[in-house]
This record gives sequence, C-alpha cells and structure tokens, in this order.
Amino acid sequence: MTLRRFPSIALAAAALALAAPVHAANTLIPAGQRIAVAGSVLTVQPDAEWNRLGVRPGRYAERWTRDGDQLDALTFYGGIADGKTLFREVNRKERPLPRVAATMLVTDIPILLENSYRVARGIAAMTIERVEPARFAGSDGVHFTYSYIRLDESLHRRGEAFGAIIRGRLYLITYEAPALYYYERSAPTARRVVDSARV
Amino acid sequence: MRRLIAAALIVSTATAASDPVLPPYVPAYQPTDVDERGAWMIADEEERRLRDAPEVIRDPALNAFVRDVLCRTVGADRCAAIRLYIVRIPAFNATTYPNGMMTVWTGALLRLHSEAELGAMLGHEFGHFELRHTVASFRHRRSGNALLAWASILGGGFALQVATIGGFYRFDRAQEKAADLLGLRYLAASSYPASAAADIWVRAMAETDASAIGRYRKPDQRYTAGFFATHPTDLTRATYLRAAAAAIGVHGADEAARYRAAVAPWLPRLLADQIKRNDFGGSEYLLAQLAADGWTTPLLFARGELYRERGNPRDLVSAAGFYRDAIGRGDAPPEAYRGLGLALLRGNQAEPGKAALRDYLRRKPDAGDAPLISTLIAS
Repeated sequence: MTLRRFPSIALAAAALALAAPVHAANTLIPAGQRIAVAGSVLTVQPDAEWNRLGVRPGRYAERWTRDGDQLDALTFYGGIADGKTLFREVNRKERPLPRVAATMLVTDIPILLENSYRVARGIAAMTIERVEPARFAGSDGVHFTYSYIRLDESLHRRGEAFGAIIRGRLYLITYEAPALYYYERSAPTARRVVDSARV
Repeated sequence: MRRLIAAALIVSTATAASDPVLPPYVPAYQPTDVDERGAWMIADEEERRLRDAPEVIRDPALNAFVRDVLCRTVGADRCAAIRLYIVRIPAFNATTYPNGMMTVWTGALLRLHSEAELGAMLGHEFGHFELRHTVASFRHRRSGNALLAWASILGGGFALQVATIGGFYRFDRAQEKAADLLGLRYLAASSYPASAAADIWVRAMAETDASAIGRYRKPDQRYTAGFFATHPTDLTRATYLRAAAAAIGVHGADEAARYRAAVAPWLPRLLADQIKRNDFGGSEYLLAQLAADGWTTPLLFARGELYRERGNPRDLVSAAGFYRDAIGRGDAPPEAYRGLGLALLRGNQAEPGKAALRDYLRRKPDAGDAPLISTLIAS
C-alpha cells in the first residue's frame, strides 16, 4: 500500500531483459590479440580470455565478463558523441538519461555515470569515492572508484572507471564486481585491459 | 456486487470523514487466518531486510521528529504499533505493510512543507494499516483470479473478464480514497489543520507539469483515473480532500517553521539527491517552492548545481550567478567555489574559473577530488 502510484523500476528492468534479442550470442575474446570494442575506434589487447556478452548495454557500449556479468563486468563505452546517452534508455519519456556534452570537463564524467545509474536502475545508494587524474587511451583523463547497491539487493558492489573526452567524444571503461571476493579477483586482469586501451 | 461493495465503502468513509470521533483501535492485533498470516510473514521478511539496509537513514533526531509527528497525528496508542523507516529514495512516496512497518521516502521529506502535511501523509499510510488493506487487496485479487480462470474455462466472455480486471483497480482506488479520508479524520482529531492534505496534491500536480515542460513535453495531467490506475488522480484527491477538510472546519497550526528546522540538517543531501534525478523542470519547481520565503545558501548552491549540470551555455552563466549569490551570503560550503570554478571553466572563462578553483582548494585542501582539480588549474 503506497501513498501514490510509482512506476516499478524492477518491472521495467524485467521488460528490458525480455526485450533483448534472443539470437544475441556470447563470444570468446582470445588473449593477446588487439581488438576494437563497442563498435568504435577504441581498441584493447587483453592478456587473458574474456567473454563478450551478445546483449549490449547500448549502441555505443559493450560488456565483457569472466565469471558472468553479475560477478564481474568490464564495460566499454566507445566514443559517445554530444547529445547521446551512456546506455539504452528504459523510459525516455518519464526517466530520460543524462546526455554527454562535447564541452564536458573530466570532473563531469563521474557525475554522468552516477546520475545515469541512479536514473536507469533506481539506485539510491551509490557513492563516488576517489577521483584522480589519470592517463587513459593516450589522453589526459580521470580515474575514479565507486560503490553501490542495486535496488532491492543487499550485495555491496564496487567499481572503478577510467575515462577521457577525446575530440569531443566520451571514452570510458568501467569494471564492476561484488565487493566480497570477486572484485579483487578480476581487478588486476581488468586493469591490464584498460592499460592497453588506445584510440 | 463488487461495485456495490466498493461504492458502499466510499459512501461510508465519505460520511465518516466529517465525524471527528475515530473508530475504536485494537492494540497488538495478531493475524487471524491463513491469508493474513502469509501477508504478515512476507512483511516480516521485508522488514528484516530493511533493518540492515544501507539506504535507511538512522539519524536519531530525524527519526524522532517523524515519529513525533505520527504520534501527534494518530494518537499515542496507535503510533506505538508502527515501526518507521526513513528510506533514502528521492521520489515522493511512503508505504505501509500489514505488520506495522512504515517507510517514508526522503523525496517526500523534501516535498512536504509543514508538520501538518507530514501528518497528513503518515495518517493516510496509517489508514491503510488500520483498515488492513493489504490483506483485503490480496483476497480480492485471489478471488478475482479464480473468477478469471473459471470464466476462461466456461467461456465467460470478454465482457466478464474486462469487468473483473477493472474490478481489481477500482478496488485499489477505493482503498486509497478510504485511507485518504481516514487520514483526514486523524488530522481532524489532532492539533494540525485538515486542509494540509489537499495542498500536497496541488503541488504534486504542479511538479508533474513542471517536469514535463522541462523535458519539452506537453503537460499531460490526468483528470480522470484510467482503467488500470491503482490510485485516484492527484486532482481527484485534491478535490475530495479539500471538500472534506472544509466540512471539518479550520483549526490548529501547521507548524511549518518547526518542520523546516527539523529537516534543515538533511536539506543539502536531499537537494543533492533530487538534482541527480535529471529532472530540470521538476527540481527547479521544488527549489522555487522551498524558496518561497527567500533564497537561502543551500537552495542557491543547489540551484547552481542544477544549472551547471544541464550545462547549456546560458545555464553556465546562470549557475555562476547562483554560486556567487551563495558565496556572497558568507556561509557557503567550499563546494560553492568548486561549482563556480567549473561553471566558468566550462563557459570558456579560464582565468576567473581557475581563480575560483584555487579558492576551493585553499578552503578544502584535503578534498577527495583535489588532485584532479589541480590538473584543471594547471592546464
């Protein structure tokens, strides 16, 4: 019983999962080969095997995992242009996502990710922790860490991201996993993928 | 038959709304049959999760304040049955469970303006609890589902199925109205004016319209509840609550100043959560409502953040103005200098922007983002 009608975010998420194309196949990413990600000019060279999920979070995004995307997820956002969103909008009319702007400063990148997560996934408990300058894909960018808990879950998840605005487009790689055990397990491998990134 | 029951429920509560004597209350009620025990078990499980959930605000002062308003509204014996949880979700809502657990979302605390309005909201929720709506709803749905199943086997026809499905939602709307009107009777028996309940819904409508306009859409306020609507429209609620409050008459004080004082320590965080919702029109409307008696430093700072985040060239100019106004008041947080610097930098005013960022680092040298801000100053 509630005070007022509130759109169920869980239902929307379920609808999104159902809307995913059934034919989308997952692919093995072999170690040691340079590969273009997220349909963009961003390339990486992993030193271990990863699985590329057939279901992409958005038109300019791609997700890799080692143990399954609930246990570790490496997400690439490749060259998101001015006026585009990080990932697919669930409800453009009622809950539009924040958009990338070509004039964004590096300090705006963590805010964009946080606000997109809050709007799209209904996450209330998300904290950006450490924000520091970093080289990313040959440019000056930002490295930040964060933690969050999904709606109706009590599992603590950690994440870290490297991003930069290169020629007016946003390039971003995030690595996320449950804080307990899984985060530390795959973080070094994920960081080596990020280190190999080139635009 | 169902329509008759629903209509009878509405009529009985509508006439009762003007009756200041509350129905008798049974403390320490225990679930009586299998349906009710099941509903309580699910609610107990949810409460166990919520007890340790990170999104619950534990601040003893804020919790004591909200509980105090509940007790003043429904009376000491009734409020003893309720466990209150303030949940950090920036939308306007509150929920009740059959076992006496009640949640208040922080978005509601930001949108309400007085103790009387908070009392109206909590009274509505307590109404659901006292009328045992959850278990009634469950039984109603189960019998409706059985009817639907038989209708499909025996060829009951499309009309019967539509009528049954429509009945689910009409029943929900009738419950909402019953809870609204019982909530009003608590207010009538308390020290708060009953007119507060309608004001909430008038502002809710205005905020919805402002959100739509901010997203370049036409406001599409619903004036009649749709077939599948679980709640009456905001306009319907404002109208019947206003009429029922007029029948009760004017009494009591709404205690707006006490409310503002109690929420003040949390206001910057509530505003920050609201601004992260990417709802420019709605946030701007809320800020204007909160600034009815003048713009305070937290409100100016929040408005600067709101404009800077939308980030059109004209917004960056406005944002810089709001940060400067906040700084001019003398009690601005160091983050106001940060916002000013970033707004100027993004608006192609490099030197004044860097000067403001240097001011920020001077005031908060150990800031988490200090290394990154330093690179912006150096670039």
